[in-house]
Amino acid sequence: MPRLFLTALAVLATIAVAVRAQPPAIRVGEAFPALVFPSLDDGKPMSITDFHGSKTVLVVFASW
Amino acid sequence: MVGIIQEQHPDRCRLFMQWKGMDFPIMVDSLDQLGVSAVPLVYLIDEAGVVRAARARRSDYEAFMAADPATGGAEPQAAAAPDLDALSRWADAGTPEAMLRYADALVMWSERGDLDRAIDLYGRVVKARPDWGAAHFHLGVALRRRFDSQNRRADDFARAIAAWDRALSIDPNQYIWRRRIQQFGPRLDKPYPFYDWVGSAREQITARGQVPAPIAVEPRGAELTHPARSIAQSPDSVQPPDPDARIDRDSGELIRIDPVTVPATGRDRRAWRVHLLLTPTAHGHWNNEVGPGQIWIDPPQGAVVDRRLIELPGAAEAVSREVREAEFEIRLPDAADKPARVNGYVLYYVCEEADGTCLYRRQDFSVRLGE
Repeated sequence: MPRLFLTALAVLATIAVAVRAQPPAIRVGEAFPALVFPSLDDGKPMSITDFHGSKTVLVVFASW
Repeated sequence: MVGIIQEQHPDRCRLFMQWKGMDFPIMVDSLDQLGVSAVPLVYLIDEAGVVRAARARRSDYEAFMAADPATGGAEPQAAAAPDLDALSRWADAGTPEAMLRYADALVMWSERGDLDRAIDLYGRVVKARPDWGAAHFHLGVALRRRFDSQNRRADDFARAIAAWDRALSIDPNQYIWRRRIQQFGPRLDKPYPFYDWVGSAREQITARGQVPAPIAVEPRGAELTHPARSIAQSPDSVQPPDPDARIDRDSGELIRIDPVTVPATGRDRRAWRVHLLLTPTAHGHWNNEVGPGQIWIDPPQGAVVDRRLIELPGAAEAVSREVREAEFEIRLPDAADKPARVNGYVLYYVCEEADGTCLYRRQDFSVRLGE
């Protein structure tokens, strides 16, 4: 039993690491990932959480 | 309205926003931590931060704006930068995940000097997890950023391309990663010109009476070129400047040549854009009082190059020590050897640091294409 328990822990840890190693999923009906990025204006931290309380149109884009 | 940009050089987006008269908060995701594989993408997010529509269409907007406000968790929460000390301690545990997160934080939040540490960490991550595409991509971003800084190392650009190429080989559907290579790659592989809008943007902004937002790294060469369906062969009438090899050689003591090769990203990898970076060593500097340097390209049998003779312009001042860059494109024949090589030489006017003696020298190069 202890060996099975330790094996299960190892598997869960591996899965957990693997899950964290993937980029966050963006799905309708779920929270938009609350990643923190530097602001283009002044480099200060900014996240989608700064805009909670308002409807937000978020566009992911590039200038190229 | 809020934006997240996918840019190696975010300040270019600032100029773009000014040009288009757009003014809304923008977050910078140079590492593509979101993991998006296409742009542009539009998400409609309600008051509680829940995504209500992705790749939104007109009908989505109407329903979204008409919906009752969401409740629960609907208070703004100010974002905070990560605790670098805590991430450092976690990274000391040595797991690839922890090292990557710390390296990402160094790239995004710390001073430029910490790029060295970030690049070292990314290198350890990809060694431990060679199949982790995102780690290779992040490494490439950091290397290119260091190349664009005062702290650049000679092989940073080449290593960045190699890292991005490796990332794309792991996940060929990653559009953002593909575009990052194509930004510097051959015209045959370009979907569109990347930064050819910069000149027009500056003109129009200036015409409005405004001062264009500054750009730290000017787009050049490949970043400005338009796509092409073929490479126009350099005319046979162009003659080599030193056909009998009579010019005395510089073995690299005065000028160092660093080639960077950027392949096409599709299945047909016979097209390449070659960047030649010429850097004065501690023993030499450019002499700009005589005339421009020249680069002669001698491609392998059957290959097509867009230019065989390239003029290498100098600087305005009499002497200088800047890095000079030249680019050309080559398409190898179907039955090309792997790896192929393109040879050539550079002719330049240079002065020795020791006693100021000014010389006209030739340095040969042989650039490897492929593996």
